[in-house]
Amino acid sequence: MEHWNNIINTVLLGTAKKPVDKQGLTGPLEQAADSILGNPALDREDQFLHLASVIYNYRQCGTQPITANVPPTPVAPPETKRYCTPAAVRVLQSVLETDSTQLVQLWLEYCTGANLLLPPAQLPVMLDKAWKNKSLRVLTAAAGGYRAEWLGQFNPDWNFSRVADTIEERWQNGATAQRVEALKELRIADPVLARTWLQQSWAKESATVKTALLEVLEQPIDPDDVPWLESLSGEKSKQVKEALIHLLKKQPSSSLQAQYWQVVSEAVQLRPDGTVDVMAPIIKDDSIFQSGIEKLSNNKKISDDWHLLLQLIGLIHPAQWEIHFGKTTAEIMQLFQQQAALQIFIPSLVQAIVWFEEQQRAMTFIQHSEVFYIDLIPLLPVEQQQLLSEKYFDEQPETIIKYAADSPEEWSMPLCTRIMRYAATQPYTYNQLFMNNVVRQIPVAIAGKLDDINATETYHTGYWNNIKAHLARLLHAKSLINTL
Amino acid sequence: MNLSDEQVLAMAPDDSSRKAGKDLANPAKWASKCVGEQALWGECQGSGSKPYQTQIDTGNMAFKCSCPSRKFPCKHGLGLLLLYSRQPSSFDTQTPPAWVSDWLAKRAERDEKKTAVPTAEKTTDTAAQAKRLQARQQKVADGTDELLRWIKHLVRNGILDLPEKDFSFFENMIRRMVDAQAPGLAAMMRELADISYFHDGWQTVFLHQLLRIYLVIQGYRHQDQLPAALQQDLRTLIGFSQSQEELKAQTGIIDTWQVLGKQTSEEDKLVIERYWLYGINSRRSALILQFFVRGQQAAATSLTPGTCLKAELVYYPSAAPLRALIKQQIQLPMNHTFQGLEGWKEVVQTQTNMGSVFPLYNDQVYTITALTPVWYQEQWWLQDGRQQLMPIRKGFPHIWKLLAFSGGAPLPMAVTGREKQYEPLGVWHEQEYKIL
Repeated sequence: MEHWNNIINTVLLGTAKKPVDKQGLTGPLEQAADSILGNPALDREDQFLHLASVIYNYRQCGTQPITANVPPTPVAPPETKRYCTPAAVRVLQSVLETDSTQLVQLWLEYCTGANLLLPPAQLPVMLDKAWKNKSLRVLTAAAGGYRAEWLGQFNPDWNFSRVADTIEERWQNGATAQRVEALKELRIADPVLARTWLQQSWAKESATVKTALLEVLEQPIDPDDVPWLESLSGEKSKQVKEALIHLLKKQPSSSLQAQYWQVVSEAVQLRPDGTVDVMAPIIKDDSIFQSGIEKLSNNKKISDDWHLLLQLIGLIHPAQWEIHFGKTTAEIMQLFQQQAALQIFIPSLVQAIVWFEEQQRAMTFIQHSEVFYIDLIPLLPVEQQQLLSEKYFDEQPETIIKYAADSPEEWSMPLCTRIMRYAATQPYTYNQLFMNNVVRQIPVAIAGKLDDINATETYHTGYWNNIKAHLARLLHAKSLINTL
Repeated sequence: MNLSDEQVLAMAPDDSSRKAGKDLANPAKWASKCVGEQALWGECQGSGSKPYQTQIDTGNMAFKCSCPSRKFPCKHGLGLLLLYSRQPSSFDTQTPPAWVSDWLAKRAERDEKKTAVPTAEKTTDTAAQAKRLQARQQKVADGTDELLRWIKHLVRNGILDLPEKDFSFFENMIRRMVDAQAPGLAAMMRELADISYFHDGWQTVFLHQLLRIYLVIQGYRHQDQLPAALQQDLRTLIGFSQSQEELKAQTGIIDTWQVLGKQTSEEDKLVIERYWLYGINSRRSALILQFFVRGQQAAATSLTPGTCLKAELVYYPSAAPLRALIKQQIQLPMNHTFQGLEGWKEVVQTQTNMGSVFPLYNDQVYTITALTPVWYQEQWWLQDGRQQLMPIRKGFPHIWKLLAFSGGAPLPMAVTGREKQYEPLGVWHEQEYKIL
C-alpha cells in the first residue's frame, strides 16, 4: 500500500517537482524499479509511467479477498407454509401494474386465505408497497412469512412484518398494525381479556400506539370500558385525550353523555297535553365545552342556544328520548316529525342514529319518515342500501357515490351502471385514482357495458375513454384474482 | 417456452418500453392472439387505421412488428410475450397465417445462408485495402503519439488541480482520438473524463485508467514483440474492428449456454448490451456484446436472461478469450445445472492467471458455489464458504431481492466484475436459476 501511496503522491505533485523513486519497494518490485530508473533512455515521465504500470499490474494480480470476522447474520427460519403458485405470482404482477391498493389487498386476502406465502422474489416489492400503504401491512406480514420478518432487520421501513400465528403472539411481539388487529379479534372473542391486556400494557405504550389501540374500542362499543376510560382523564398527550373524548362521546353510559343529557332534558319538556316545549339550554358546568361542543353559532339564522342544542341532540343516544318521554322508537320518530318545536332537530336525531350506529332505529326512522335522509344509508342492510341508493341517486349522486365507495360490498349492476354514467359526466372527479380506490366494489361484469357508457361532453371524451381503458385493466386484474 | 416476467422484461431496450410493454400485456388490447409450434402472433389496435401485426419467433426469440417503432423489441412484441407468459391459455392455437409463416420461412432461409460455407470468394482489391490499412495505422500512430505527449505533460505537471479542469480538457483529446480513427482509445478517454472528481479516492481511479491507456499505447507501439493473441487484444482496444465474416468462417464451440444475465449501458446514444453466458459442458464463460443507436432498430439476436441456448460460439481472438459471436443458435428451456468456483480464492487466482497473459482484462462473469450477502463496515459484501469477502458494487439495485432469496443462507451465484468490485447477476434458488 505504501508504494502505491508514493506513486499517487508523485502524480499529484507532478514529476517536475517530485521525480519517481523506489521508496517502499522491495523484492521483484525493487528490481523492476532499479531497471526502470537506471534506464537513461527514459525521461522522468516515462520512468514514472513505467514503474506505476508495473505496480498497477502487480497490485491487480495480487488482489485478495478480505478475511474478516463478520458477526454471523441470523438465518431466516424455514417457512412452515407453502409458497403461492407461479400462476398466482403472475396474477400479482398484473395487479401490481394497475397501481391499485385495493386489488393488491384482494390478492393478499386470497394468499393469506389459502394459507400461502409470497415467494422471496416478490417480497421487496410487496414490503415496499405495504410500507407506503398501512392498510396492506397486516396482510403483507402474514403473506411474507419468516423471510419478510428477516428482511425487516435490515430495512427499518419493513419492520412491521413479524410472523405471529396466534393472537397472543401478535399482541406480544407484533408491530403496531398487527397488535391492533390482534386486539380487534380478541375484543370480539373475549372483550374482558382484551381490556385486561390493554390495561396491562397501557403505561408502556407510546401516545401514537395508545391512539391506535383506543380506536379498537370503538368497534363494538362496550359499556364495561367506561370506568377504565374515565380513569384515564389524566393522560398528557393531546391526541390520546382527543381519542378518549371521542370514545366517551360514543358511550351512552359515560358521565360526559350524562352531562349532555342533563342540559338537553332540562331544555326539552313534554307537556301534559302531549306538546313539546323547547327552552334555551342552561349550562351549569362549562367543562362541556372542553369536549368539542361549540358555544357560538356560525349561522346567522340559528341562535347560539339552538346551535348548542343541535350539537348535543346529535350526540345523545336516541334511546334517551324513549325513556324521557316514555314512548317507543316509532313514537319518538313521529313526535319529532309532528311537533313543530322538535322538527328543527330532526337532522340532529338522524345524526345521533348515525353516531351510535343504531341500525334498527335507522330502519324505523326510514319507515316513519316522508323525507329520505341519505346519511342513514350505511346503517341499512346491503340490499336495501343499494336499492335506495339507486332510487335516490339523481337527488344526491355525489353523496350516494361517497357512501357506495365507503361500503365494503360489491355494487349491484344497476347501481354500478348509474354510478358509471354519472362518472362519465364528471371524469375529472371520478378519475383513474377514484377507480383504483373503488375497484373492489365494482362488479367485473360492468366491463362488458363500458362501451355503452360515454362522456356527455365532447371535450371529456378522450379523458373518459382513458379512464374506461384503465378501469378495464383493473377489472381484468380483478377477474384474474377471482379465478385463483 | 416458459418465461417469467423478469425474463421477458429483461429483453426491453429501455424503461419506457418496459412500461409500455406491461400496459400492452392485457387481452383487451389485442384483437387476436395466437400461438403456433414455432411462433406467437397477434394483432394490436394502435393509433393507425389497421391493427399492428406483431410476431415472435419463439424458436430463436426474434420479434417483428408492423408498428413504426424503431425500438427492438417494440412494446407490442414485449406486451404479447408478457401476456403469453402470464396467460398462455388465452392464446388460440392455430397454424400461422401467411404474414407469419412467410416471415418464419425467410428467417429460416437467412439462417441457412448464414451457416452455409461461403463458396465464392469476394473479389477484393487487396492493394487498395492494404493502402487504406496503412493510412489508418499512420493516423493511429500519430494519434497515439499525441495522446502520449498529453499523458506525459499531465504527469509532469501533476494532477492536483484536475478536479478544477473544465470539460474541454478531456473532450479535445477524445475528439482527437476519434479523428485518429482510434475509437477504442476515445472510449477509454471518455471513462477518464467520466470519473467523479469530487469523490474520495478519485486519484487511484484516475491513475488506474490512465495507466491502462498508457499500457495500450505502449503495447501497440511494441506489438511486434508480443504474442499474436495479445496483439489482437491491443488492436481491439485501440478500436480496430474484427471481421465478423472471418470469425463466422471459423469453427466455434458448440455447447448449451446458460444466459446468466444482461447488463445495459449507454454512451452518447449508443446502447451497449452485454449478455453473460456460461457453457455447461465447456465450462467457459462468454460475453456477447451488442451495440445499437438509441431509437434505431437493433439488429442481431435477442437473448433471454435466465434461459439456455444450444449454440455455436466463436470467440474473438484474445489472450484471454471472452467476447464471442453466436454463429447459430436454438432457444432451449433453462438448464438449471450449476457449475462454479468454490470461492473468492479461486476467482482471484483466475484473475491473476488472466492478468499474466492479458493485463488489460475487463469485467468477467464467475459462478461461485456459495456466497452470502453480509452487511459489514456500512456496506454489502459477498462472503464465501471460507469467510472471505468481496464488496458488492455500490448502487447495486437488486440488493433486497438478493437478500430475499438468501435469507442469510449461502447461495450459488453468478457475479460479474473484477478485482474488488462485483455485481450479482442471478442466483440458484431451490435448484432453479433466478435472475435478479
